[in-house]
Amino acid sequence: MLSDFEAAELLSFLTPEARPDVKGHTTSYILGLSGNRDGCRFLRTKPDIITALFALTSDPSIAIAKDCYFTLINLSADETLHQVLLTDIKVLQVMMKKVLDPEFVFSDQICSILSNLTRHLKTCKIMFKVLQEDVGVAKLVEIFCAESFNKKAKFHHLGPLLSNLTQLPEARSFMMDKDRCVIQRLFSYTQYQASVVRRGGVVGTLRNCCFDHAHHEWLLSDDVDILPFLMLPLAGPEELTEKENEGLPVDLQYLPEDKKREEDPDIRKMLLETLLLLTATKAGREILEKKSVYPIMREFHKWETDVHVTAACEKLVEVLIGDEPEPGMENLLEVDIPEEVEEKLTKADAREQEELEKEQERMKQEEEEEKKKRSDTEGSEKEQEAGLIR
Amino acid sequence: MAAPQDDSDDGMDEFMEKFKTTTYKNAFSKDNWEEEFDKIPMFMKKAPEEIDSQSYPELACLQAMIHDEDAPPEEQAANLKDEGNEFFKEKNYKKAILSYTAGLNKKCGDQNINTVLLTNRAAAHFHLGNMRSALNDAAAAKKIKPDHLKALIRGAQSCIELRSFAEGVQWCDEGLKVHPTDKKLQELRATADKHKRAAERDARKAKIREKKLHGEKEALLAAITDRGIKLFQTSKPRHRESDGEEESSSAALSQLSLDCLSSQEATGARVFLDEQHILHWPVLFLYPEHQQTDFISAFCENDCFINHLALMFGEELPPWDADRKYHPQNLQLYFEDEVKDTLYQVKPETLLLKVLQHKRFFVKAGSPSFIVVVKGSPFWEQFSTGKKIRGL
Repeated sequence: MLSDFEAAELLSFLTPEARPDVKGHTTSYILGLSGNRDGCRFLRTKPDIITALFALTSDPSIAIAKDCYFTLINLSADETLHQVLLTDIKVLQVMMKKVLDPEFVFSDQICSILSNLTRHLKTCKIMFKVLQEDVGVAKLVEIFCAESFNKKAKFHHLGPLLSNLTQLPEARSFMMDKDRCVIQRLFSYTQYQASVVRRGGVVGTLRNCCFDHAHHEWLLSDDVDILPFLMLPLAGPEELTEKENEGLPVDLQYLPEDKKREEDPDIRKMLLETLLLLTATKAGREILEKKSVYPIMREFHKWETDVHVTAACEKLVEVLIGDEPEPGMENLLEVDIPEEVEEKLTKADAREQEELEKEQERMKQEEEEEKKKRSDTEGSEKEQEAGLIR
Repeated sequence: MAAPQDDSDDGMDEFMEKFKTTTYKNAFSKDNWEEEFDKIPMFMKKAPEEIDSQSYPELACLQAMIHDEDAPPEEQAANLKDEGNEFFKEKNYKKAILSYTAGLNKKCGDQNINTVLLTNRAAAHFHLGNMRSALNDAAAAKKIKPDHLKALIRGAQSCIELRSFAEGVQWCDEGLKVHPTDKKLQELRATADKHKRAAERDARKAKIREKKLHGEKEALLAAITDRGIKLFQTSKPRHRESDGEEESSSAALSQLSLDCLSSQEATGARVFLDEQHILHWPVLFLYPEHQQTDFISAFCENDCFINHLALMFGEELPPWDADRKYHPQNLQLYFEDEVKDTLYQVKPETLLLKVLQHKRFFVKAGSPSFIVVVKGSPFWEQFSTGKKIRGL
């Protein structure tokens, strides 16, 4: 890595007054550094450089500003950098406010940085406080849900940002404030085709919110109605009988034959986990049962190929069609599990995990054998062809 | 010095004395005191439709004050606003609208008054059921003051009544930006959203139904054409702009249904394909001798005529058969080829399908029809004169 002398030299080129071409080369070089872990760790030891980078985000040269933003994105992706990036909160505050400007060209980059900085609990807490005070999470949700707030930015990364923020109970309280209309605005984005980042962020947010089972009844109520939006990405084009259709929530009825399911298996798994969370309370189970979502899960199970997602699906179906637990056990999240049972369950989980991994390995091997076979035959075919030509 | 009893020097006592002796002039008369009561502006329960200065001088005076052309526009507008509000309270929405409009026409510079005039006029339109006007006024109010809660609510409500639900949600969202905790806006948003999703479901359902019906129609037509059965084209074929087999097949089918409806039988019976893919036809038996007809609503294509004849004439002969001669074994069946003026005889044991597939058989008006006569009867001799007779 660079010596202290070289680092000091770099720093001198990062002043606003430096020659533009030198500045440009330097920022470009630093961007390159930030592209790998060692470079990041090196920069961590040079807070002055980082401060300079923040300052240069306002540089009149778009290229230089861009390099700085991308460098900050890379740095913020590394957890060990968070401490140093947050040393001067004021700098972050200034940056956050820029997001509110509908003409600002680097809004998406700022969103990525904010999203990265909220991933881990400690920094998330600090970030939430700052966001609430300076920008207001409400405003962020508003911008996220606005069709064309800023022509130059898409704000998809506000999705994972919100998801990260909802690790905190105070963020969840805000999202699910019954006196406002916040979380409802996110629902339609569970099917947002154009961005997997946005979709994943929204589903992550909803899943985190569903850990608060005190809110389940409200979430499942007709006024809020979260259920259809969790189910729609899992529902497919298969035709259901009229009777089955009429029993479903309105949004799930009579889906057209070109209906596509969620492509990303991680998002599918998150949706199932969210649904499973909603079955924790008796009220939640009753509502899910009443809304007859079973036909959708049945068709989904037939269609799903990923072993992990299938496992999640099966867990959900088990609860849906299973018997009601005894009194006292009604809230599955709060039940006291006796020690031996807990041990057994942990062992069972571990075994299941092993089996899943074996299954995956097996499938991978099969795939590779297939590939090998194909390339073998291709190879021999080529030989034959070559032979013919010869 | 005055006497101790008389200490009032304002003449009040004398004044009061007069009441005991003099009759009060210009009092309300006993008979029509209620009418007179109603004429005094202060006691009026509602304003008269027309105010002329003869019968209602005080009211005309007040009106003149309200519509005082000399007062500054803001004052006039404010007065008109109050006037409109009074009409509104009386549920006289048409008059309220007139007042508000007059107020707006003053074009006073006070945007607050203008916003209220527009919002109130929107409300009046809303109560009259003029949703489009209500929405326009609410939008105009919102343009002047984007945070005016009543305008935002009225706009959302109007959208919902106009069934423009997505727009309604937008109005609510705009409103909630400025008034995030307003319950009415939240409630309206939930309502609009719910209706929007129901309408989307209805559209999906209708599309699927249409597709299914279309599929059924196609299958029916395919079954008919596969069997080589020909449908009679009416003299006025419908020409459609769009081409393609789909159009012509549905044109033929819709013709089929159209023709069926225009057939003599108003039962609306139509040929259908059952689950075993067997066709069942509505069939007409004509008895030209007696100008009678019989209608069989569902004649299975694999059924033969004798079965139906046995059912219809086996036990009892119809009342119109005065000569009691229409016994099943005496009956002959024919179908007519009008184009070639030929009668084709159909043996009663023949299956319907066989006949329909005959190269000269055309199904008219969706109902195959057959002529039934008594073998060798005088009517038959007469009827068949000049016509060619052929067997199948």
